Amino acid sequence: MISNISDAQWMVYNSSAGPYVAVVNTIVFNEVIEIFMQEPTNVAGILLYENATERPDFFSPETQCPNENSVGPDGKCAGDVVWNENGSGLLRRDIPFPIFFLPSSRISEIDKITQCHDRYNLDKDNQKGRPLCSLQLSSFMYAAVNTAVCLRRSATSIFGIAIKMCDPLGDYNVYSSLFPRPKETAKENKQVILVTARMDAASLFDGVAPGAASAVVGLVTLITTAATLSQMIPLSDAPLYNKNVLFTLFNGESYDYIGSQRVAYDISRGVWPPLSPITSKDINLHVELGQLGGSLNLFKDNPNWPLYAYAPYTYAIPPQVTEFLAEMSSYSQSNNMTIESEFSINLPPSSLHSFRKILSNATESGELPEILLVDHVGKFTNKFYQSALDDYESIGYTYHNITISNDGKFISTDDLISNGTMSENEAQVKVARVATSLAHTLYQQIVGTAYTGNISSSAHLVDEMLYCFLRSQACRLLVAADYYSNEDTPPDDRPAPLYVGVAAASTPAALYSGHLLALLTGTHLQVNRTACDKIGTPGFSYYYLRGWNHSGICIQTTMNFSQAISPAFIKPDYNITSAEFSTWTESVWLGLWARVFVRAAGVGARVAAAAGAFATILAAFTTYWLQRHASVIFLTPVADNGAIRSVNC
Amino acid sequence: MDLNRLTNEKKLQLCRWYFRVGCALLPFVWAVNVVWFFKEAFMKPPYNEQKQIKKYVILSGVGTIIWAVLLSAWSLAFQIKRVSWGATGDALSFIVPLGHP
Repeated sequence: MISNISDAQWMVYNSSAGPYVAVVNTIVFNEVIEIFMQEPTNVAGILLYENATERPDFFSPETQCPNENSVGPDGKCAGDVVWNENGSGLLRRDIPFPIFFLPSSRISEIDKITQCHDRYNLDKDNQKGRPLCSLQLSSFMYAAVNTAVCLRRSATSIFGIAIKMCDPLGDYNVYSSLFPRPKETAKENKQVILVTARMDAASLFDGVAPGAASAVVGLVTLITTAATLSQMIPLSDAPLYNKNVLFTLFNGESYDYIGSQRVAYDISRGVWPPLSPITSKDINLHVELGQLGGSLNLFKDNPNWPLYAYAPYTYAIPPQVTEFLAEMSSYSQSNNMTIESEFSINLPPSSLHSFRKILSNATESGELPEILLVDHVGKFTNKFYQSALDDYESIGYTYHNITISNDGKFISTDDLISNGTMSENEAQVKVARVATSLAHTLYQQIVGTAYTGNISSSAHLVDEMLYCFLRSQACRLLVAADYYSNEDTPPDDRPAPLYVGVAAASTPAALYSGHLLALLTGTHLQVNRTACDKIGTPGFSYYYLRGWNHSGICIQTTMNFSQAISPAFIKPDYNITSAEFSTWTESVWLGLWARVFVRAAGVGARVAAAAGAFATILAAFTTYWLQRHASVIFLTPVADNGAIRSVNC
Repeated sequence: MDLNRLTNEKKLQLCRWYFRVGCALLPFVWAVNVVWFFKEAFMKPPYNEQKQIKKYVILSGVGTIIWAVLLSAWSLAFQIKRVSWGATGDALSFIVPLGHP
């Protein structure tokens, strides 16, 4: 049990019965981990448990410059720009021992361990040869060295035997356009405004990647914006305008921008989106919703939430960027938000780097103008970037649990504030305000005139959606957005981990986001299931989902999925050591488990071994002696002429 | 098979055969030959065929030692150098240890 630095130093330098498993809480972890990493010989593993009452000031296992190796030509994190100031880089380092995490819901296990520890292990000076309370952690990983080696070993060898050791990371990207983009009209395709966000996060621990401020706030803002915009501009107006909006959610961004690298690569070779591909010339503007939510907790006591719009231009600012920023700024003001422009070549970590790297000709010439919306200027405001603690608490979110009516109408933000249900200071309201501002700006970009209507994003919708991603997958929105025919057991009452996972198995994040986009932006058709399956209007997909009253609804949507597997794994003859694309793979592993037991002092075992050795030597000696002196013990049989002795009864 | 029950001529024939079979890259047959006929070649009182048996046993013995040296040198080199040989090392491996470089 490590409760301070001196405990850790004792364990590493002065303990006598090592190696030990350190039981550490989240408050102390930051201070002691470096001690363990420097001198790991006495460390068998770490069991990290969440301190439910107190949080550390910061904890981020990501490096100080996330995804540093996949940035565009001039986005190096250097000098005074350190994005993730508190990053320990543990995610990217070789940790020579396993680290297990115990969330606060399982804190009773720690009480048991404490009891056991206090009974056997308190005497720190005399531990050698004593019975000790012990902890065993098992997390055997198949793969070794790096991706190149483990993929090579997973491929069939000349002897024909190969065990799969690792799989490429990857999943699906989700995209959805305001107007359909059918194949037939490919030639006269409209210019698109690309609005993107990431939907994955990471942490050191399997099954725990909440990514609230790392990903969820941006993701929810994007879906809410798409939902609002689809209410503002009816589908039937499509022929009136020459612009379209393409909302895209990237997956695997935590691991060197897997999803966006793939999209940028596919755009460069003209195959994305698969149905009617775009080129970099078709992109009128690219707006990325980056790190949002980190500062929500800082501003939880007032209605402010300052946002910053990074634009990578120092001179010759593309007119689209100036125009967008001016409109966004004006709509933000009318929604009580502020948005400041930051013109800097040095962009914070975001999917834009993939486009700047792969489509560098278009991005540098300003042909593909880019804007990044974040809530930090310079270093991250998110103190728990990519960690298990980046959860609902870190953005100060509290769920309101307001029922959704059967027709899917959400209560408007203004109504919620005027009736006192929510306050201006809450995360839900602030996110809804940003989504409203963005939706109104996009409206003006498409229609060409300022928005004068009264449709805005609902904080009620944001409240529900944040609940789905941050608290429980068993939420109203996801039930309504599920397939009508899905008869699987309902998901657990906990947030879905946002770790991208291996490409061979899909994770819930993309599915949830895709279905929510379909449900919230699609057209609800009043037809039954068989009819729904038969419709085939070009440019649309049809999903039969549960709907708001769970009786089944046919959704006509432009939402679709595209592969988020790094180009490294699909490009023929790709040199895996070239660092051109993300090449992350995940090792195959057997189950993870831990157990607590009292280890015997070892005296018994030594006695048994000595006794065994002694018995063996004695037996050998006796056998030898008997053989040498057989004539003494056994009388030479007297030849009795073969007569058989018999005994008469 | 009990060598004591064979005639000396049969023994020589058997020993010669073991030596010849061993020439087909089968050092273990030589090793067996050495162990099996060691007593016949060096410890039994002299008889006609013994000289030839001795010759085959010595040849088999030398062959076994050369093979043993070669095999252990290769095994040692492979164990030590497999990782640094990279792809070649993996290609030469029948089973690659899990979780190790």
